[in-house]
Order: sequence, then C-alpha cells, then structure tokens
Amino acid sequence: MSKPLIQLIDIRKKFQSGKITYEVLKGINLEVYMGDFLAIMGPSGGGKSTLLNILGLLDRPDSGLYLFEGREVNTFSEKELSRLRNQKIGFIFQAFHLIPWATALENTLLPALYGGEITKEKIQRAHELLEKLGLGDKKNHKPAELSGGQQQRVAIARALINNPTLLLADEPTGNLDSQSSEEVIKIFENLNKEGLTIIMVTHEREIAQRAKKIKFLKDGKFIED
Amino acid sequence: MNTLKLKLLLGGILHKKLRLFLSVLGIIIGVSALFLMNTFGEAAKKKTLKEIETFGPDILMILPGQVRVSAGRAIQTEQRTTLKMEDAQALEKIYGIKALSPLFSGTGTARYSFKTITTMLNGVNESYIFLRKFSLIEGRNFLKGEITGYKKVAILGYKVKKELFGEESAEGKVILINKLPFVVIGVLSPIGIDASNQDQDDQILVPITTSMSSLFNADYLSGIYVAVENPSLIPQIERNIEELLLKRHRVSPSNIDFKIIKAEDIFKFRLEASKLFTTLVQSISILCLLVGSLGVTAIMLLSVNERKKEIGLRLAIGASRRGVLLQFLLESILITFVGGLVGLLIGGLLSIILLPLLKYPWVFPFKPIIVSSALTVFFGLISGVYPAYKASQIDPAILLKGL
Repeated sequence: MSKPLIQLIDIRKKFQSGKITYEVLKGINLEVYMGDFLAIMGPSGGGKSTLLNILGLLDRPDSGLYLFEGREVNTFSEKELSRLRNQKIGFIFQAFHLIPWATALENTLLPALYGGEITKEKIQRAHELLEKLGLGDKKNHKPAELSGGQQQRVAIARALINNPTLLLADEPTGNLDSQSSEEVIKIFENLNKEGLTIIMVTHEREIAQRAKKIKFLKDGKFIED
Repeated sequence: MNTLKLKLLLGGILHKKLRLFLSVLGIIIGVSALFLMNTFGEAAKKKTLKEIETFGPDILMILPGQVRVSAGRAIQTEQRTTLKMEDAQALEKIYGIKALSPLFSGTGTARYSFKTITTMLNGVNESYIFLRKFSLIEGRNFLKGEITGYKKVAILGYKVKKELFGEESAEGKVILINKLPFVVIGVLSPIGIDASNQDQDDQILVPITTSMSSLFNADYLSGIYVAVENPSLIPQIERNIEELLLKRHRVSPSNIDFKIIKAEDIFKFRLEASKLFTTLVQSISILCLLVGSLGVTAIMLLSVNERKKEIGLRLAIGASRRGVLLQFLLESILITFVGGLVGLLIGGLLSIILLPLLKYPWVFPFKPIIVSSALTVFFGLISGVYPAYKASQIDPAILLKGL
C-alpha cells in the first residue's frame, strides 16, 4: 500500500479552564489514505472538533506526531501552514460561514484571493463548480437570499476552488433538513468517487454510514469496532 | 479582476453603512474644523499683511501728544497742539524721505442738494493719496497750486460720494462743507477701515491750507505722514526725525510730545493675535480628530468582534495573520481617509461661503489641505492599529465550535 496522506501518532491535546486542565485528546492514532472517505462519530465533548482543528492545521497538538503527505506538520511555520490550508485542504462548516456581503460567486473565489491572483481560470472554475452544484442561477445571490442547502453548496464550491487533496467537513448536515442533507452527502459521495479524500465529523448515523469508514471518538480516544 | 479582489478584501467596510457614517462623523467634523480654521488663520494673516501693505511698510506717522498702540489700533490718548506746519516743512530736508503730508483732521458737515451728512474732514497736501496708496475712481488729485493757493476743492471718500450723489457723477459739482462752497475734483475708491481706526471711505480730503484757515482756524497739525525711499532705512530716519523735532520743540526725550508710529508697531499685535488664534483652534481641531479617531477605533473593534467568523474563515482558508492585520489597518485608514475627504469638502465649502461673508480675502488653502490629509491618514493608522491587531489574533478554531 502507498504512503498515507495523513498519519497521526499518539496525538494529545490539553485545554485549561481556570485551574482545571482537561485532556481532550488522549493519544490519537489515525491513518488516512488518498481516496478515503472517513466519518468520525462520537458524543459531544468527545474531542471531535479538537481533532478536526488539528487535522485542518488550525491548531497544534501538545504532543504526538502529525505527518501530512509524509512531512511533519509541527516543524512548519505559521506561513507554511496558511499556505497548506489554502492549497491542500478544503473546509466545510456546520454554519457554512459565508461572507454575508459577498455573492455566491465571490464567496467561492475567496480562497483564490489568498492563493495568489484571482485568475481568469479561477473565475471560470468558480462558475463551473457552482453550475455543477446546481447553483448556476444563484451565482450573484447573497447568502441571505439562499436556502441552507444552497448555502452549504456554495461553501462546498468554496472548499473546492483551489483543488484541494483533502476535504474536512464539520457536521456538514447539522443545520440542514433531510432533503438538503441528502443532496450534500450525495455531493460528497460523488467527489470521493472522483478521488477526493474526505474526513467528516458527524453525529448522524445515517450520514456517517454513507462514508467508506466510520470511527468513534469517545473520551479523547478512538473506540475500535 | 482587480475590482473583485478589492471587493473581497474591503467589501466589509460598506456592510453596515449607518454605523460607518457614525464612526466617521467625528473625523468629518474634526477635519472640516481643522481645514476651516487653517483657512481662516491664513486669510486673517493675509488680510493683516494686506493692510500693512496698504498702510505701507514705508510709512511713518508722526502724531502729537502721547499715542498708545493697543489692540492693533493707534489710539491717541492726549491731544497736543505742538506739532506745527513748520515742523512738516523742516522734516522735508531729512535724507531718505520721499514724500510727506501734513494732516489736520476735524469733523464737519457736508451738504449737496438736500442731503447733509457729518463726516471727517482731512486737510492734506498733494502727496497724501500717493503716500497712503489710495486710488481715485473719479476725477484727479490735488494740484500743488491748489494746496499753496488755499483753494476750496475736495476729494470725497467713497461712502460720502455715495450718500451725497448716489450713482451720479460728483466731479465738478459744488458741495457745501461747513457752509463754504467746495468744488469736488475727485472720488476715492473704496478702502475700508484702516489701521488708524478710521473709516477711510467716510471722509473728505481738502487742502491742508484751506482746512487750517477757512474750516477750523487752527495753527497746529493732527499729524504728519512720511513716506521713506527705502523701508530698511526706517530706523535711521525715525531717529533723525525724533532728533529734529525734539530740537524744534525744545523738549527733553523724557518729555517727548510726539510719537512716531510704524506699520510694524500696529500690526505686530494683530499678527501675534491671529497666530495665537490659529494655534488655539488647530489644537482644538486636532483634539477633535483624536476623539474622532477614537470613535473609529471603537467602531472597528466592534466590527472586528462582529466579524470574528469572517476573520476566522479568512485565516482558515489561507489568509496570513499579517494579511488580516493589513486588511483591517487598510479599512481604518480608508474609513478615516474618506471621512477626511468629506471633511475637506465641507470645510472647503464653508470657507467659500464664510470667507467673503466676513470680508476676508480668498486664500487657496494649500497648506491646510496637506496638513489635514496627512493628519487624517496618521490618525487612521493610529485608530486602526489596535483593532487590526485584535483581528489578526483571532483563533480560526472558533469556526468549528458549533455556530
């Protein structure tokens, strides 16, 4: 088998709240290969968000080893991490986090702004992505004029604009009705078929079951099942 | 493509327009006040300088008695009758004096057709209107022969002419001054109130000889105006005049019975006052700008707090902390700059309206514009630093904590 895209070895993370220190992640080991579609489930407070933050390079572990494409993330500077997030990782959030004053097309292009120039090709790609996601007629709408499902699809287009290798989704269907949830998970399945690696945190069993692999996180550790 | 980039970077500014307006209000007020007051300061200075110019840096005024220069006006506190026509004649021999005119001032009535007015009657010679740099809009100056020949001729001040003749020409008409007939030979162009605190438009000039003999029957002068060849020689000439007059009057320097007044003496105070005024108002305006920029700081902090998610997202998808810092710094500068621009516009508009209304000369406020713009950008920078720093320190991990 080829080298894993992501390799976590004994990742630990503590948080301090007043005088009390919690250990949120108590030794996480994980390997994710190119083309994987992994769902992470678990009760709230189990460390899912913290793990996703670490996976998405938004936070650093206290100890342990994180290899992204075989390179040790801990040695990267802030700037290199920014660049990695911009080029290699697409983020999907439960609350979409679209910019309210920008149109769907502009929101889609936001990561391109930080990846160098907004080229003609990027704009072309933004148009294509929005059309592919069924938003061809909503390109110039503001988020407030879109339904939840449509907003999440704009967020997916935004995540894909820089052609990432990894898609990180945090409760992507958490704010959506069942029909929109179905649309979104269908999109994920298709993207995964096209070769995109996806890691998704969810607490909805039927959504998680659409992934190729499910892992349960409880009290800061994966439960093998 | 560039406009898109600009919008994605700075589109957030226009998101909350009312708030934006409120935050720049302080800047607008500060800048317009700063601009207006700078303009006024410049205009006041220019006005005073212009008055010095018309009064003349080359002019000396010799007044009998004690004269106090106060509040920018020469005020005669004590009238004396010791300054004589012969003094004026003696002064003509002093080297460096270009021209001089004796002056006898009194009030009297002037009458033409059925209109009677009371006005200043100034007895002078043919050099006076050159010396004072007055110009005529009608007629001619006195002839030397008219002065020496006790002729009853008169040059009217602008207001006197307006009141007696209206739009009608006054030249060649006969008016009654203190019941004596005088032929009008000229009319002065408008001058206004000069440094001697007299409305120069409300006067009638007559030959000094006629004035002293026929009108007032006096044997003394109210003053002597002296024009020198070269203003740099003034101190020397002033000393010579003093020496000569002290000798002629046979008094000691401690009992001096006349005073020599220079343009500088009168205007020094006014220039200082206008400078003080300008500094005062400028400091207030800068204070206002400071308060305004504090307002911008407060609004920017609010905005940063409210846009935490947006900032977190920008950081998550690849913006560097430095980029976010620059973005918000740029926003503050842009906001204050636009506020400054609006302030300049308002200040400019107000000065266009107010300067002529207050009879100040028009100045192109080059310096105020530069000073105000530089200050707004500076204050924009100051007001943006803290909020921008706060923005750059936001933890993108907040995005994953639920909503």
